[in-house]
Amino acid sequence: MLKLIKEVLKVGEATLPYPFKPVEVMPGFRGKPHHDPERCMACAACAIACPPNALSITTDLDQGIQTWSLFMGRCIYCGRCEEVCPTGAITLSPDFELAVMNKDDLYERADYKLAACRRCGMYFAPLKEIEYVFTLLQQSGLPEEGLANARALLEVCPECKRKNDVPKMVRLYQEED
Amino acid sequence: MFGDKITVQQIAERSAYAIHPEPETAQLKAALLKDIQRSVYVYRVDCGGCNGCEIEIFAALTPLFDVERFGIKVVSSPRHADVLVYTGSMTRSMRVPALRAYHAAPDPKICVAYGACGCSGGIFHDLYCVWGGADKFIPIDLYIPGCPPTPAATIYGFAIALGMLGQKMKATHHVQGEDEHVPPRHPDIPLALRVNIEREARRLAGYLYGKQIAEAFLQILENNPKQVAENVQAYLVRQDDPRLTEIVTRLEGLYQTHQGGS
Repeated sequence: MLKLIKEVLKVGEATLPYPFKPVEVMPGFRGKPHHDPERCMACAACAIACPPNALSITTDLDQGIQTWSLFMGRCIYCGRCEEVCPTGAITLSPDFELAVMNKDDLYERADYKLAACRRCGMYFAPLKEIEYVFTLLQQSGLPEEGLANARALLEVCPECKRKNDVPKMVRLYQEED
Repeated sequence: MFGDKITVQQIAERSAYAIHPEPETAQLKAALLKDIQRSVYVYRVDCGGCNGCEIEIFAALTPLFDVERFGIKVVSSPRHADVLVYTGSMTRSMRVPALRAYHAAPDPKICVAYGACGCSGGIFHDLYCVWGGADKFIPIDLYIPGCPPTPAATIYGFAIALGMLGQKMKATHHVQGEDEHVPPRHPDIPLALRVNIEREARRLAGYLYGKQIAEAFLQILENNPKQVAENVQAYLVRQDDPRLTEIVTRLEGLYQTHQGGS
């Protein structure tokens, strides 16, 4: 008996003191996705990649608002959003303390403005996404003239681009003949 | 009749198992949540889960986490239970058994939606044969998300339900401010080079690790563009990983080609 007690004292306590002291998670642990709304440009890459549709994007064309939303209750912590995010706005944090008494607290939302087309005035793409594409073009070393052209093209919606292209092509064909 | 659209809630109300909570029950439940002076008995209701959640619940009972030190005990009959834990995405055929377990448990009782499936249906939420979450027809008091929730997350969930800890999560709503811009990630590195390096790292190591390795390499490039070879060597010696050495050496090759070309 004494021997057993000695053994027990030597081994010590195996039980973790959690929740009274924080518990350490393993490196590479995938917890709550942390979203930095300032770095996000609402490009919807994460919403397309998300297997359980925990991340979703809704577009309000009347108000010109694109809403990014994350429902934590559906997230399976696979990390696909982190992998595909082009700006590094989403990273999986080691935070696992997510339980809530009220379901609404599981939602995270962010509203982004849409850009209006130069020609028809319809909303068509997030403003920040267009800005980001333009910054990348600048970074790739496009000359000043090309940048102005690119800007004009970027701010036109796909519908108007198509409508614009037809007369151009007709003119080109006529010139060839 | 079949032409009408019926919501899940309407079906639940018409059912013989419909839940009609009485006002006293709510008071009793509030009292139970506020100061429970005894152990709580937990009954698990598996409503079509993958058993991942069950494994984590049992992991929480092991000596390492040991929820029984708080008096939380798993029982094998709903008639003994104070807490019902619903796991799984609630398949159609488990609706009636889930409700029977609910009615069998004595009032006041706390219902917990456990795991991503229990909270909302999880990855199965839009399947034809699931209701998508226990809260579709059972009044849920506590949501523990996770796929599956770790034993520590389970303990945390019970701790906030029993008033030992406070809730951390809050609903957030960000609205885009004026002058909000996304800066490019490495403005000093030529775009073509950055894209090539990221693409090659992704090809060799996959999306997640490729991204991390490319990020570390680009950081070295950005910190000191004059001494890239030395710094990369020092980094590889520090990490001491032959797989990383292979990948980073190839990335360095790309960088050298780019330097030679421009």
